[in-house]
Amino acid sequence: MMPLRRRSILTGLVAGAMASGPARAADPVFVGVSGPLTGPNAQYGAQWKDAFDLALAEVNPTAAHPVRYVFEDSQSDPRQSVAIAQKFVNDPRIVMELGDFSSPASMAASPIYQRAKLVQFGFTNSHPDFTKGGDYMWSNSISQAEEQPSLADFAVAGLGRKRLGVIHLNTDWGVTSKNLFAAAVQAKGAEVTAAEGFLPNERDFRSTLVRIRDSNPDGIVLIAYYADAATIIRQIRTLGLTQPIVAVSSVYSPKLLELGGDAVNGVHVITTFFPEEPRPEVQRFVASFRAKYSREPDTFNATAYDTMILVSTLVNQFGTTRAAIRDGLSKVRGVPSVIYGTMQFDQATRRVEGARYKRLLVQGGKFVLWQGGTPS
Amino acid sequence: MLGAWFDYTVNGFVIGNIYALLAVGLALIYGVANLVNFAHGSVYVVGAYVGWAAITYLGTPLPVTLLCVVVVCALVGVGIERLGLRPLHGASRIAPLLATIGIALVLDQVVQLIFSPDPRAVPMQVPDWRITLGGGTIGALDLLIAGIGLTSAAVLYGFLRFTKLGWAVRATAQDSDAAKQMGVDTDRVNLVVFAIASALSGISGVLVGMYYNQINPAMSFEATLKGIVALIIGGLGNVPGAIGGSLILGLTESYGIALFGTSYRNLFAFVLLIAMLVWRPNGLFAARRSLPPEPMTGTFIARSRPLKVPSWAVAVVILLAALLPLLDAPYLLQIGANSLMYAMLALSLTLVAGTVGQVSLGHAALLAIGGYASGLLALDAGWPVAVAIPAAGLITAALGTLLVFPAFRLTGHYVSIATLGIGEIVSLVILNWTGLTRGAIGLGGIPPLEVFGYDLGSVQGTYWLCLVVLVLLALLQVRLLNSHLGRSWRAIRDDSVAARSYGVSGDRYKALAFGYGGFAAGISGAITAHAYSYINHETFGATISILALTMVILGGLGNVVGAVLGATLLIALPEAFRFLAEYRILIYGIVLLLLIRFRPQGLMGTV
Repeated sequence: MMPLRRRSILTGLVAGAMASGPARAADPVFVGVSGPLTGPNAQYGAQWKDAFDLALAEVNPTAAHPVRYVFEDSQSDPRQSVAIAQKFVNDPRIVMELGDFSSPASMAASPIYQRAKLVQFGFTNSHPDFTKGGDYMWSNSISQAEEQPSLADFAVAGLGRKRLGVIHLNTDWGVTSKNLFAAAVQAKGAEVTAAEGFLPNERDFRSTLVRIRDSNPDGIVLIAYYADAATIIRQIRTLGLTQPIVAVSSVYSPKLLELGGDAVNGVHVITTFFPEEPRPEVQRFVASFRAKYSREPDTFNATAYDTMILVSTLVNQFGTTRAAIRDGLSKVRGVPSVIYGTMQFDQATRRVEGARYKRLLVQGGKFVLWQGGTPS
Repeated sequence: MLGAWFDYTVNGFVIGNIYALLAVGLALIYGVANLVNFAHGSVYVVGAYVGWAAITYLGTPLPVTLLCVVVVCALVGVGIERLGLRPLHGASRIAPLLATIGIALVLDQVVQLIFSPDPRAVPMQVPDWRITLGGGTIGALDLLIAGIGLTSAAVLYGFLRFTKLGWAVRATAQDSDAAKQMGVDTDRVNLVVFAIASALSGISGVLVGMYYNQINPAMSFEATLKGIVALIIGGLGNVPGAIGGSLILGLTESYGIALFGTSYRNLFAFVLLIAMLVWRPNGLFAARRSLPPEPMTGTFIARSRPLKVPSWAVAVVILLAALLPLLDAPYLLQIGANSLMYAMLALSLTLVAGTVGQVSLGHAALLAIGGYASGLLALDAGWPVAVAIPAAGLITAALGTLLVFPAFRLTGHYVSIATLGIGEIVSLVILNWTGLTRGAIGLGGIPPLEVFGYDLGSVQGTYWLCLVVLVLLALLQVRLLNSHLGRSWRAIRDDSVAARSYGVSGDRYKALAFGYGGFAAGISGAITAHAYSYINHETFGATISILALTMVILGGLGNVVGAVLGATLLIALPEAFRFLAEYRILIYGIVLLLLIRFRPQGLMGTV
């Protein structure tokens, strides 16, 4: 069963490569992917896969070294991600590893990759300590140190808010973001009146909102994912709070509109990925994604797509050994990217800077670019 | 300020109202079957998805939607009773409880496989008018939920008091054998009760789905947990009490948020649970303060003769295990090291649950304490890893025993619920005690395994270290079990009254068991923390507690060799069957159910 399944994933990619590939069939280069295909985070692994396949179908036919990936399901569980790490580091074909999804699963495997000198590329790992695991940990995940000041700028300078109530997810990501946001808001001369952390799976926010309301804010900031954000926004409105709402980029998703219904109209969101952005990289990605899967891509798709384009660039510009990939990451410049425009890595942090933030507004059940002006 | 307190009160009632729908069904089942139904939240999820599917695909109006939900969920309830629980009649009291955990795993996974884990929106089918109350509003759906909760409680109360079938239900609850002798068809009564309670649970699922405009398969555990806490507050089996308990739980959470902030909400709920179990185990509304008598001591020990493994065979297996690193198969070794770490946890649980009969549902908390203790000693106090790990074992032993101490006088179901609550409390304290544990950020950069300068961070090193530690712990445990101490532990498990009359004081021996068990689990957590280099409050979650329990039941409760075998099988087999990944948790659930039904003594037999 297993070889069959894996082959069916691979043949799809190879078929694309063979059809119009170069006359001399080069040996494919393998990357390992450790991520959730089952379990509670399974939808994210599925989104990665769609984007990987799309990217490879685009770049492999013309590349000297076509890239293939081996996807191992970790359920985003550290116990399984460490076993997968051993599998990858001891598989001589694998030149680079991508993932895992959550911080505990990714960072538990880091010592193994570091020891084996195999690059672990965490493209959803915003945890500030992830790349501190060693000089083989790299990430193009959106840095919260960059996103939060941008969010603060939207709320304070853009929307003219002075007193902000923050509701954040109580996880490593949520707390890091909240702290960075509070610092950025202060630097701009505004203040955070209350910061409330909630647990994943919580559904009732009424009492949380009373606390927020009584801190007397003139704007409410959400640091959450779209599903929780939809629930919170609905309750903000049923409780009769009318302050403008501003949310981080992880709230941007077509699903927000479905889960939030009418209540999300008027919500402000920043995002790094917006399908209607005219930039050619974005338009090409969105058009080919729609053509292949007949649905709208979201930020997770875009990040995974960017990552696979980067892998192909590294392999074809710098060589097909583990050392060459590590070396290439520190040298590579100007890789085209949906999120960043072009990607290059900061040598000290091993992260990418310069994500382009768009300011959006939900209007009539759709995301539109925010045109300025004070919120209604 | 008074206005705010009014709002917190209203909000407490609103959320308590939602818990009540769950708690009423749980109370009904407990009242009749003497069973805390851990599958209740899963039926609630089934109800939510049936409702969603009916509205989305068939476009049903509200009454038809509810009818679909009632029919399907009643059938699920009948299935649970007929296939999952009735065959266990006559088995020990804890067996059906474990079976409902297995059923919950199976139902949740089936829903997730059919509908995917993606959250979905349930279209609102109740008119959306709202009335202003204090600083907020309440809507038609709040009133509908309250109406259904109160009506069902009233109807159930009337049914139990004034109808013949109701009398039969109560008679069955009081003494099912006597009821049977009086001509009551107790099987039919049980069937009817499960159908009613499950239908109620399904209705709450779809209404709560509409309320939040969102459902996902993961919401079942939270629902079960809150329902059980409300049930304990109201008194097990007390239907009107369940509503009172739910409202009190809602108010406690709301006031907790008011006083300390949102991240303390669940901490308040579980502290309330433990406080109730310790001081008012019969619930707030009961006159009696003593626990209702449990016909059996509440252990899940099927009498069996343990499989004798000759000591030369054990020695050969250990030798072969020690030679495994020479094969140069690092992936295999990593799985081996994982199995060994879990085997230490299983040793701990098999002692506590098997030998002493305290079925713990929160054992992963001991891993978390061990992991954080060792990580913090190494990171903040600069202790060498080789000293930090045993120290973490001792800290876990002390802290673990101290935490469970209030639950020592509880038996059977109450122990399981208390340990479940304590497990949640530990994880929430880790999350909230930011000054010590760094809260949600977690502990990063934990130094790798080393013993006085020898680097054991390689997979071979980790494996050998785990093997040595496990063999030492196992030998010590075998030695203890064959001593006077082991006999006393088993005496408490088999008949605590008789043991006490022979001068064996239950509390002290339980404390010794939890102490030793905490030591083994703490070491396991500590080694895991150094091997992973990063842990947070989610690394050792509730699913690990359930996994550990499955391991020790698979191996045979109380059986040391069985615990190691169970751990190895449940860690290694999923790796071998990676292609079945999607069905992995489903398979755990089915294995758990089949074991409870057909081989409660496990593979190696209970000791």
